[in-house]
Amino acid sequence: MDEEYDVEFIEREERSAKFLVRGVTPAFANGIRRAMIADVPTLAIDEVRFIENSSVMFDEQIALRLGLVPLSTPPNEFDEDDVVTLSLDVSGPATAYSGDIVSSDEMVQPAEENVPIIDLKDGQRLELEADAVLSTGKDHAKHQGGVSVGYRHLQRVETVGDRGEFEDVDPEIYRGVIQEGDELVDTEEFDHDLTNRYPDQEVAVEDVEHAFVFSVETDGSMSVEELFTRAVESLDARAAELEDAVSL
Amino acid sequence: MMVPVRCFTCGNVVGEHWEEFKARSREGDEDPEMVLDELGIDRYCCRRMLVSHKDLVDIVSPYQ
Repeated sequence: MDEEYDVEFIEREERSAKFLVRGVTPAFANGIRRAMIADVPTLAIDEVRFIENSSVMFDEQIALRLGLVPLSTPPNEFDEDDVVTLSLDVSGPATAYSGDIVSSDEMVQPAEENVPIIDLKDGQRLELEADAVLSTGKDHAKHQGGVSVGYRHLQRVETVGDRGEFEDVDPEIYRGVIQEGDELVDTEEFDHDLTNRYPDQEVAVEDVEHAFVFSVETDGSMSVEELFTRAVESLDARAAELEDAVSL
Repeated sequence: MMVPVRCFTCGNVVGEHWEEFKARSREGDEDPEMVLDELGIDRYCCRRMLVSHKDLVDIVSPYQ
C-alpha cells in the first residue's frame, strides 16, 4: 500500500499506549495486532544450569519462573540463535529477586527488578547459570513482547435531535475513543456512557472507516513504539518473502 | 507457593507488586481494591492473581 498512514497518540506512557491509525484496512490492522503478539522476537531465559538449589522448589519450577521474567531486548542487536548468559547466586535467609540476576551483556537486563523468584530460608542456597535466547511469541508465551494488544474502530458520534422529555433513558455504553467533529474523546472521560455526555439529545454512532484505535501494552522488553514498528517490519519482511517466492 | 511471575490469562508481569500488595492489604488494613488500583493493576485477570494468592514457602520449608 502506498497511501499515507496517519498515526495519532491518545495516551502515551513508557509501557502502554493508545493511538489512532488511519488509512489501514481491517485485515492489515489485525495483521499488525497478531504480529505484535506472536512475531516480534524478545529475549527470555530458556535453559538453566543449576549449580546448587537447596530451596523448597524444584529446579524446573525455578527455571520456569526465570523464563517468565522479561529481559530488555535492544533492537537489531541479536540474531535468532544468539545466547546471552546470565547468573544468579543468592544465599538464605533472603529472597532471590529478578534484580539479583547478573547479566553478561550490559544491554540485556531484567526489565523488572522486584519479581520474587524464590524465598530462601536459613542455610538454603540458589546458584545457577542461565542462557537467554531470542525467539517469538509463537514459540512460547515468555517471548511475547506485547501484552493485551487490541484495537477498536474509531466511532463517530453525531447528535440527531432531542430526546423526548419523558422518555426512559437507557445507558449507551461505548468503550474506546469517539470522534466528535474533529476532536477525539476517550470514552473514559464520561464513564463510557454516551447519555452522560449528551443527556438530552439523541445520538447516532457509526464506525469511521479505516480508522483503528490500538491499545498496546508491553512486558517491558521494549517500548510500545519499538514493538509496533518491529511488528510492521516483520509483516513487511513476510510480504517481501512471499513476493519473491511466487515471482518466476 | 511463590507468587506467579505473570498473569495466567494476559501475560502481564504481576509478581513485582506482590510484596507491596501483601504489606498493605494483608498485613496492613488498606482496602485491597484501592491498593490494586494504585498499583496500576487494572484488569480483573491480573487482579485475581494477587487477590487469590497465598505464600506457602513458610509452610512447606520445615518438611524439606
